[in-house]
Amino acid sequence: MSPTISCSSVYKIFGNNAQTLLSESGGNVDAKKFQEAGCIVGVNNASFDVNQGEMLVVMGLSGSGKSTLLRCISRLTDATSGKILIDGEDICLMNSKQLIELRREKMGMVFQNFALLPHKTVLENIAFPLQVKGVTTENSIHKALEMVELVGLKGRENYFPRELSGGQQQRVGIARSLAVEPDIWFLDEPFSALDPLIRKEMQDEFLRLQSVLNKTIMFVTHDFDEALRLADRIAIMKDGIIEQLDKPDNIVLNPATDYVRKFTEDVPREKVLKIESIMDASDPNASGEIAVKKDDIIETVAEKILNSKDTIKVVDEKNSVVGSINPSKVIKVLFGE
Amino acid sequence: MKKLLSLFYTLVLLAGLSTVAKAADPIRIPVLNWSSQIVMANVMAQAFEELGYEAELVPAESATRYEAVRVGELHVAHETWESTMALPFYAAMDKGGLIDAGSHDLITFEEMGVPNWVIEEGLCPGLPSWEALKSPECAANFATPDSEGKGRWLEGPYEWHTEVMPNRLKGLGIDDLWMVKFAGTADALWAELEAAKKEGRGTIIFNWSPNFTDAAGFTFIDFPPYFEGCRLENGGTLETTGCGSPKGWLKKAAHIKFPITHTSAYKFYTKMEFTAPNIGEMANYVDNEGMTHAEAATAYIANNRDQIDLFMK
Amino acid sequence: MNKNYLDIIRSSKPAQFGILLIIFLFLYHFIPQNEGNYFWRLPSLLAFIPIKLNEIIYAALYEWFPLKVYDPIFEMYEEKAAFREFTKSISKGLLFLITFVRELLLGGDKIIDIFVSDAWLKENDWMSWPALPWTAATVGAFLLGYQLGGFRLALLGGIGSLYVSIFGNWVPSIQTLSFVLITTPICFVLGLSFGIWGYLDKKVETALQPVLNVMQTMPQFAYLVPIIALFGLGDHAGSIATIVIATPPMIRNTILGLKRISPEVVEAGLMSGCTKRQLLFKVLIPTARRDILNGVNTVIMQCLAMVVIASFVGAKGLGLNLKVALNSLKIGKAAEAGFCIVLIAVILDRFTKAWANKQVDYFENLTFFERYKLLIIFGTSILIFSVVAFIANGYFDKINYLYVIPIEKGLTFAHYIDAAVDWVWDTFFYSLNSFNKFLLTQVLGPMKKAYLGMPVAATLTLTMGIAYIIGGIRTCLLVGGMMLFIAMSKYWDRALITMYMATFAVIMASLNGIIVGSIFAQTQRGSKFILSVCDFFETFPSFVYLIPVIFLFNITDTSVLIAAIVYATVPATRYTVWGLNSVPTSLHEAGTMSGVSRMQRWTNIEIPLAFPTIMLGVNQTVVFTLQMVILGALIGTEDLGQLIFGALSRAQDGPGVAITLGLFVSLMAISVDVIVRKWAEERKKALGLD
Ligand SMILES: Nc1ncnc2c1ncn2[C@@H]1O[C@H](COP(=O)(O)OP(=O)(O)O)[C@@H](O)[C@H]1O
Ligand SMILES: [Mg+2]
Repeated sequence: MSPTISCSSVYKIFGNNAQTLLSESGGNVDAKKFQEAGCIVGVNNASFDVNQGEMLVVMGLSGSGKSTLLRCISRLTDATSGKILIDGEDICLMNSKQLIELRREKMGMVFQNFALLPHKTVLENIAFPLQVKGVTTENSIHKALEMVELVGLKGRENYFPRELSGGQQQRVGIARSLAVEPDIWFLDEPFSALDPLIRKEMQDEFLRLQSVLNKTIMFVTHDFDEALRLADRIAIMKDGIIEQLDKPDNIVLNPATDYVRKFTEDVPREKVLKIESIMDASDPNASGEIAVKKDDIIETVAEKILNSKDTIKVVDEKNSVVGSINPSKVIKVLFGE
Repeated sequence: MKKLLSLFYTLVLLAGLSTVAKAADPIRIPVLNWSSQIVMANVMAQAFEELGYEAELVPAESATRYEAVRVGELHVAHETWESTMALPFYAAMDKGGLIDAGSHDLITFEEMGVPNWVIEEGLCPGLPSWEALKSPECAANFATPDSEGKGRWLEGPYEWHTEVMPNRLKGLGIDDLWMVKFAGTADALWAELEAAKKEGRGTIIFNWSPNFTDAAGFTFIDFPPYFEGCRLENGGTLETTGCGSPKGWLKKAAHIKFPITHTSAYKFYTKMEFTAPNIGEMANYVDNEGMTHAEAATAYIANNRDQIDLFMK
Repeated sequence: MNKNYLDIIRSSKPAQFGILLIIFLFLYHFIPQNEGNYFWRLPSLLAFIPIKLNEIIYAALYEWFPLKVYDPIFEMYEEKAAFREFTKSISKGLLFLITFVRELLLGGDKIIDIFVSDAWLKENDWMSWPALPWTAATVGAFLLGYQLGGFRLALLGGIGSLYVSIFGNWVPSIQTLSFVLITTPICFVLGLSFGIWGYLDKKVETALQPVLNVMQTMPQFAYLVPIIALFGLGDHAGSIATIVIATPPMIRNTILGLKRISPEVVEAGLMSGCTKRQLLFKVLIPTARRDILNGVNTVIMQCLAMVVIASFVGAKGLGLNLKVALNSLKIGKAAEAGFCIVLIAVILDRFTKAWANKQVDYFENLTFFERYKLLIIFGTSILIFSVVAFIANGYFDKINYLYVIPIEKGLTFAHYIDAAVDWVWDTFFYSLNSFNKFLLTQVLGPMKKAYLGMPVAATLTLTMGIAYIIGGIRTCLLVGGMMLFIAMSKYWDRALITMYMATFAVIMASLNGIIVGSIFAQTQRGSKFILSVCDFFETFPSFVYLIPVIFLFNITDTSVLIAAIVYATVPATRYTVWGLNSVPTSLHEAGTMSGVSRMQRWTNIEIPLAFPTIMLGVNQTVVFTLQMVILGALIGTEDLGQLIFGALSRAQDGPGVAITLGLFVSLMAISVDVIVRKWAEERKKALGLD
């Protein structure tokens, strides 16, 4: 099966003569040099795939080009060069009609500052993408009501955005982006503007939704913890370049560059690593009453392991034993050597 | 809503394209801002309607209406005072499009003068003879804070007679005692009359007769008599330019096509010659009896049926 | 050492201003005042401009692109300029629209007349649209208010309509209303379209700015003659004159509002799958709604503020009545008409706002009757009141009070106003009179002399110097160019008189505004109150007090200045209140905590922070002042206004002169605007606002 999103050598350079500068450089873009020439490098040679049902989290400091990358893929801005395939179709070649069609049918997007229409109520905001598509008022309102329920805003259908808290507004933003039932879901720092407590709650909510909906997701964040919590895979960006793209535990265990290493240094291992990475696979016949799954994050099962005195068996999805784990190993991860 | 709108657009479009034959356009009569003029406009409108025309009253400005008559925006300008409106009247005639449809049956008088109480209080002994103005004591009684100690002549707007009054002061050799101030509008002149009275300050203003100020008593000053060419700008000399104002006409102007497009209305218009008492009567209905202008016109026609019939013949 | 001084001067603006002042005074004193001296007065090299302009106007009117038009009366072909034929067709359309609305309410057969022949109409004299009885109209206004904004608006609409009717102003009010109801949407559509265009295309926006500046600052009298020439006389001409002044703020607000939309919202619209059209009409415009509505509010205010001036070119209604009343010094009657104008402004403003904010209820499930309840009530009331009025026809002789109460039969409080004017006059006359004497001889007279005694080189140095210190070389050249343009005409002395009056009035109005605004801005209630007072004075026609000031201050510059100050205090007050209200409360609290007194808080915290906003108010004050100083020609002045007003009667060269001089006034306002805006921007940056 071909990937849902596929980028190859995507560049986005802001500035007047970006095109010529880029072709002169032959793909070898040096941000500093470009800056001297009056151009700003947004995305620098990005190539990656996102598979159906996968959640790719794009992580990086502010200004690293995450939003720009997302906007290239949704073609809110035109990539300076490169190929972007959505379900095998190059969106850079689409005309505006096809593009509108694509957005109406396949894409949804959530924004950092919610970007709700201030003159519309919760219900109208959610129904908006449907109405734009030409769905009748009755049907769109009906569908919007469903979405309201999905994101837990029942009872506030007729509120205006200004009457809602930040978290509630973002729920509306989420509901709106889901109203057309898109396959691909873009989220640009959806929880960054929220208080930490609300953020945690929203992340849980988001995970719950994803477990129900199972969409292909590109999720942008500058918060590494958030990335680790949510991601199937993480892409770490710096100055427009994707420094590393890998599974969370791999990024923590094997940072590809110094930059990534610096990022991962302070990350508590137990929050990232799965039991699999510290189990003793040489002992497939381990006995014991208690079992943990090999995909469990260490932190979540640490207590369980430490409370037992024996070695604990590790099982896979099919509940067949694949190895064992010793509490001492867990202690090592938790408290260092 | 949409249907209503499109119906409306269709109507507008139809109106634009409409070519329904019209006997004649409505006769457009200017309405200015003083009573007698407005009542006369209404009298004319009612008479024209009797003659089978439609008439329309159009608010206008005294000065701009000649250009409007010239280009056919207005059909008539029925109260044209020689002293104040001759300039734009003839300017429009020079450019073509405006014709002279005769005068009313009265002599207008437009001149500098004082309200009667100024004479009664002896603020300038010797008035109404202009010689009285030579006295510095007299001039001092007409001074205002901005007149630099001189007496102030309050002339109408500059455009009315441009340099006539300053020249006259020079011609009479009293420009060291008096200075000319131009009021902005007739309204300002009347306000000045009231204000000066309250203050007990002498005032000498430009005014005309017949006018509503006649009632309260107003005396025009006797200047050296006017003769053709006495003024500097008409070829006179400094010695002669001190002459007073001519007795003037009150003309009627019309658009050049008016005689052809509205023949019998034009005939009425040329024959229509009101007298000073007529005009006084018109103003009186509104100013003192509190009628609307239209009512006043109806009342006037009822009261002067013979005269109107004569004009219509 | 030397270098040190230079550095100080370079870094200290007060020092720069000091040096500028010294140079200015030096030039002032040492340049001899004789006509041949170009440092004293420049030669009038640009004297040809009004003449050329006039030629162009006339050529456009009567010569360019001649069309052969058959004249059935003279049975010959006439040459008519295409341009004028074009403007005439615009006139026709506009007039149709205004008449349409007017007759809808007041009845008549003019609209029907357009579609049928005269003869037919005469035979069928029943064929006339019936007038709406004022009773039914009042019910209508009440219901409309209720539909739009509930009981409060219903009361406003109902009582407003009732007041207008029983005070005998029903007919002129409807005439004015029909004028406004057509003009406002035109301004709205034009403003919105140009605003959108300017938003989409940076070049268009740049090109629009100077045009808008001129349109907004040009005295209205300056373009009345050309409007008559192009569009003729009538309500449509008044409407055009109004459009010229009322559209620019709409354009400005639209651009401002659109620019303020966060890019995310645009992206959200795009991601929802909007087409360009949908994006514009469903996302951009509604999101910029607050600013756009502010624009609409300004348009309505401007339309009503222009009602009197529009009557100079043929608009009927309250404006005309006001003008006629004023001519015979019936101040009370004029004021009554003025109140109706304000009332209409308030009602329209509230109604449009409520309309724009109206919510749709998706869950209502109404029967036909419920849905159209109000319409049905309205229809029924028309029927009932018409029938009653019709029956009453036999009862009343002549005037049917149930249709219309004519003006002279309506209630009136004019005599109270007249009495009040008399009282003020009697009470204050002597003290005001001596104040006036003092002002004229000790302040205004010397000030005028000083202005007129200013060598042109000194004036240019001063203005360009200020522009340079505040805004740098570009601003300096811009301002210099504009001043030079005026200085090289033959009207420089008159321009100096206009400047002297404007300077005095601006200073006084700004002081007034800042003080009044500061006092009222202390509490929220006070702010609200004073802002509505501002609204009142902005729509209340200034003509009403333009003439009575003569009673108190005679035909002198004082009268003109008092009228100008009253009028121009409005924006200074308004912006002061806005500025002070936008000072964050945390700063108030911080101030209070550090133990400053109220006065200290005002001078040290509030005023400095509100300063940039207040400066924008001063900017507006300049524009308002200039408008009023020019309008002062109606009282009697010797400045540019006198000539502009006089040009009305000069068919020969009037349009050219009027427009040129109007442009001069514009340039003065724009010069100040350029400098003040720069200054305000800088202060804003320095304070870290925005
Ligand atoms: N429209 C634009 N024009 C010029 N530069 C831009 C534009 N949008 C973004 N940039 C620049 O591109 C870089 C990446 O921006 P962005 O993608 O918004 O970063 P992030 O979302 O990671 O914070 C930044 O340096 C930013 O200044
Ligand atoms: Mg971003």
